[in-house]
Amino acid sequence: MPNHLNDLRPDFTKRKISCGSIPAYRFEATLADELAARHITKREAVNLLEDMLIVREFEEMIVKLRSGAYPACAGFEYRGPTHVSIGQEACSVGACSGIAAEDYITSTHRGHGDSVAKGCVAIRQMNAAALRSRVPDATGTPGEICEAALEDHIFRTAAELFGKEDGYCKGRGGSMHIADFSVGHLGANAIVGGGVPIATGAAWACRYLRNGRVAVSFAGDGAYSNGVVLESLNWAAQHQFTNMLAKGHSYGLPMIFAIQNNHYGMTGRADNEVAGVEFLARRAAGFDDRNMHAEVVNGMDVLAVREAMQRAAALCREGRGPCLLELSTYRYYGHSLSDPRNEYRTREEETAWKEVDPLERYTREIVAARALTRKGVEALVEKVQARNARAAARAAKALEPKPADVLKYLYSDLTSAVVPAEFQKVEIVREKPAITRTNGQLTYRDALKEALLEEMLRDNRVVVYGEDVAEYGGAFKVTKGLLEAFGRERIFNSPISEAAICSTAVGSAMLGLRPVIELMYMDFALMSGDAIGNQAAKWHYMSGAKAEIAMVIRASVGGGKGYGGQHSQTLESVFAHIPGLYVVYPATPRDAKGLLKTAIRDNNPILFVESQLLYMTKGEVPEDPEFTIPLGLAEVKREGKDISFVVWGPALQDALKAADELAGDGVEAEVVDLRSLIPLDMATVLRSVRKTGKVVVGSQCVTTGSFMGEVIANIQHDAFDALDAPIQRVGARDTIAPQSHVLESAFLPNAADFVAAARAIL
Amino acid sequence: MAQPILMPKLGQSDEVAPIVKWRKRIGETVNKGDILFEIETEKAVLEVESFFAGRLIKIVVPAGQAAPVNATVAFLGKPGEKAPEVAAAAAHPVVEHGAGGRHGGRPSRVENKDYALSSGGSGSVPTVAAPLAATAVPLKPGRLLISPRARALASASCIDPAGIAGSGPDGRIVEKDVRAHLEARGYDKLRISPAAKALAAQQKVDILSVTGTGEGGRIMTEDIQRALAERPKPLTLMRQTIARRLTQSVVTTPHFYVTVSVDMGDLLKLRQEAKARGSDYSVTDFILAACIMALQEAPEVNSSTDGQSVRWHASVHLGLATSRPDGLVVPVIRDAQKLTLAELHQAAKALAARARDGKLLPEELSGSTFTVSNMGMLNVENFTAIINPGESAILAVSSTLPTPVARDGNVVVRPIMKITLASDHRLVDGAMAARFVNAIKTKLEDVSLWTRSI
Repeated sequence: MPNHLNDLRPDFTKRKISCGSIPAYRFEATLADELAARHITKREAVNLLEDMLIVREFEEMIVKLRSGAYPACAGFEYRGPTHVSIGQEACSVGACSGIAAEDYITSTHRGHGDSVAKGCVAIRQMNAAALRSRVPDATGTPGEICEAALEDHIFRTAAELFGKEDGYCKGRGGSMHIADFSVGHLGANAIVGGGVPIATGAAWACRYLRNGRVAVSFAGDGAYSNGVVLESLNWAAQHQFTNMLAKGHSYGLPMIFAIQNNHYGMTGRADNEVAGVEFLARRAAGFDDRNMHAEVVNGMDVLAVREAMQRAAALCREGRGPCLLELSTYRYYGHSLSDPRNEYRTREEETAWKEVDPLERYTREIVAARALTRKGVEALVEKVQARNARAAARAAKALEPKPADVLKYLYSDLTSAVVPAEFQKVEIVREKPAITRTNGQLTYRDALKEALLEEMLRDNRVVVYGEDVAEYGGAFKVTKGLLEAFGRERIFNSPISEAAICSTAVGSAMLGLRPVIELMYMDFALMSGDAIGNQAAKWHYMSGAKAEIAMVIRASVGGGKGYGGQHSQTLESVFAHIPGLYVVYPATPRDAKGLLKTAIRDNNPILFVESQLLYMTKGEVPEDPEFTIPLGLAEVKREGKDISFVVWGPALQDALKAADELAGDGVEAEVVDLRSLIPLDMATVLRSVRKTGKVVVGSQCVTTGSFMGEVIANIQHDAFDALDAPIQRVGARDTIAPQSHVLESAFLPNAADFVAAARAIL
Repeated sequence: MAQPILMPKLGQSDEVAPIVKWRKRIGETVNKGDILFEIETEKAVLEVESFFAGRLIKIVVPAGQAAPVNATVAFLGKPGEKAPEVAAAAAHPVVEHGAGGRHGGRPSRVENKDYALSSGGSGSVPTVAAPLAATAVPLKPGRLLISPRARALASASCIDPAGIAGSGPDGRIVEKDVRAHLEARGYDKLRISPAAKALAAQQKVDILSVTGTGEGGRIMTEDIQRALAERPKPLTLMRQTIARRLTQSVVTTPHFYVTVSVDMGDLLKLRQEAKARGSDYSVTDFILAACIMALQEAPEVNSSTDGQSVRWHASVHLGLATSRPDGLVVPVIRDAQKLTLAELHQAAKALAARARDGKLLPEELSGSTFTVSNMGMLNVENFTAIINPGESAILAVSSTLPTPVARDGNVVVRPIMKITLASDHRLVDGAMAARFVNAIKTKLEDVSLWTRSI
């Protein structure tokens, strides 16, 4: 039985709550010890040094480029950020070497080390076929081909920083948004904390797909004050993944929160200033009764980081995640090269940290352990410098993207037209919800439910979550019965964490799932501003089309019910302004079903707007499970020749009523329903305008700055000579939705407003 | 500092002058004395020289637009220098419509912090702090108030919507008004050849105003061409000036006319002899010289009045009405009384040539005290002329024609030239006019007067 009824009794027994203890700096072994214990091979030990050298050499190149002091790129001007992580190499390399090549990471604006390390570790573990696909032209021994792949990796990383077409993201991402999905690198993130919920979503997808993989979020001390990161900690630790609700699949999220605590946000100090704990690892205790298997680790010791990461990854693979590792490390440079550091910390502090430099320390260990001689180290340094220089020189000379391609990769052309066989297998845990037609008609609500049901039956990558969507069926009962049909694996209640709801969906979409998430009231979408606007909308483009963000965000508009300012907003115009998103707003049951199905099959992030005023409206809805309506196709809902109403959302009903009333005057009004704002079908609108010459554009949006203005701008530009009168606008008044019924009636547009606007120009 | 270039005052009454052509391009080097641009004045197209050297960095008033005298039309400066932002001083300032939809926008500026209180009754945000009714703002003068759709329909129908009564807001002509107009004028029954319609569309001929001469009244290409030929064209500045000044003269000056016949036989003979000797005097030269002499003898005629006072002129500035293909100009021979016949000949010839080429300078076009209009070469028996404003008389000189005249009781054929003096009766009476024309006649008939001069 998927439904679960709580039976929580009052229990006020006197007691003390223990927060347990968190181990810190437990690793004490040397490399010699590790080699002796066969925890690491000599080869691997040398690789750790080489990767740290590559990272440092790469970042020192950025510093030198800024003053023209990198001879390999003489004459090349680097434009872009200089957020170097010099000093933190042990964190990046140790962590990436502690997880498997196919595991996932997300990184930060200071993420060159993470990106370089993840690639190097993955490339060294690749088989011949995988290597060939990266460097098809390379020849020689397997070792030589691997070497070519490493150089290619540095080249593509540098090319991305330099904004070149050969970069990992085709120059669309750059230093702060570099991603390489082929090695599980789900992207650096210029929003502090932005990558953490994405990794959390990826971890959830790993759990769902049962692929045995782990997701690691690298993020700094600054991020652990950020709301969405705290939401992510809570998200990852939810009981429902491991307790009786998980039924046969008790498996904690395979998620490792790797805090790269370099003790400074931009300049804000985690210690003594902007946090209240000495060890950020304490955060783990706040979200998980088991403290998430947290540890504090010496982040200047690559072996300590590697060992802790191996342990955490193993726990995750056993279903005992999530884990949290606080890696204490240090950033030698300032936030960027323009930060002199002396305003907020002492030189003595910097000197003390440089005395425990991860490269120097590990070099001493590797010589002491006889894994490499001093000469061997010098040769390795020279090899790394030469390889990096060759790659950087090539990157500096690589082709720039074409200006004409500035819009390329904004949207994906792909859809899930064909569902791979492994995803067609769908288990019905109990029974499908009954959706019955009356005279062939369905309500808008049931039309949505039927769309969800059909798409979940068609493709098991379609998963549904959001607040109260499971047993309760959602605040508006759209998902009622889907838990009974598909079980908690595919539809579950989320914490009230709108930002995490949306950003985890981005992470799971990056792994190929097709989440349909519910935000309840559209007002709450503003809580997910970063997730929708910076993450969902942008990753396809910023990754150079490497990422497909196939997700649907359902948001319901509450206007018209007397719910006041924070439960009544019509905000689609806000999101239509953000490139990378599609914005869809059906106004009839038929459109609700056809468009939701198309949205779910589309590979773009789609804001799917519903209206609570429409849930109970009825209309004919095709039963055909292959019935879909293309996005970006407006529909003439009523034909006329005298005036055009161009509308979307509930304004459609008002416009149709107005058309009825005008018919009494002998006026034949045409009503065009846009159905989606992005993509926008101006062709249908212009056809109507050219016919009638008079236009009223209407919606429930607050008038100023709304998408109505965009439609009007297009009409006047493309059909100026067809206009017989100034274009009229009918929107909500420029104010906040009032609770008072009287005031709300005055606030929202209605049929009379459409009639009046029409008469003014007829 | 960029050097502003101003619109010069070159004509007599020019307040606004159109720039016909820029002779320098942006970025081109300009030397002192280089021609910068050409302007059209009432009398001629004039070249404007630069007083400054530099590079032309900005043209404020492009060719085809007019600017008032002393307005900045361009800037000279150093290469790369940025010209200051100057709004072209337009002859007709363009007034923008105030915005504001029915449901209104947010205030573009909040003038009064208490606006929420003052408008609290309606609970709405005011559209603009001081709402402008669109009707209160005048359109550009001469702009037809018509919707784009109605304009497009009129254009596609090849009709001129200017006369249509508009039924839309503020009297705007909307589509249905155009349709009603078409119906009322029987547009449906109009028959027109495709070629004619294409030409009409191209030339914007209102086909409702064209009478068809084809079979059954069908409008043919020739009909459109005829309409095009008849279509009013704006008067040139020169014609407008002629119209204004001569109308003013006819309306304010009481003209009367005195004609005498001059026997040119002896003078023509003298001229032939002079020509044989290589001196190429024209008949006009003698007429001008005779006028100058007569004017010096009759200062009343070499005078002007504003209706209140009379002013006698000490010098004779002789206006020479000269025909051009596009009109008429009156170049002036200054201090004509000081010139010998030879000098007069040269001056008249040079002025006439420059007048024909449109190269006269403003000072050569103003200040005459008496004008001669000579149509001798145009085969006219007699005509009268209209006095140039500011003068007291004008002499109309007709062709010299073989004419039977009585001489010593016999009829003989003599080369007779009629001259008619038009006089301003406020300054000149009949007897004075008669004496004056006869003085000219006498001088022209008395060759002894000229033999020494040539």
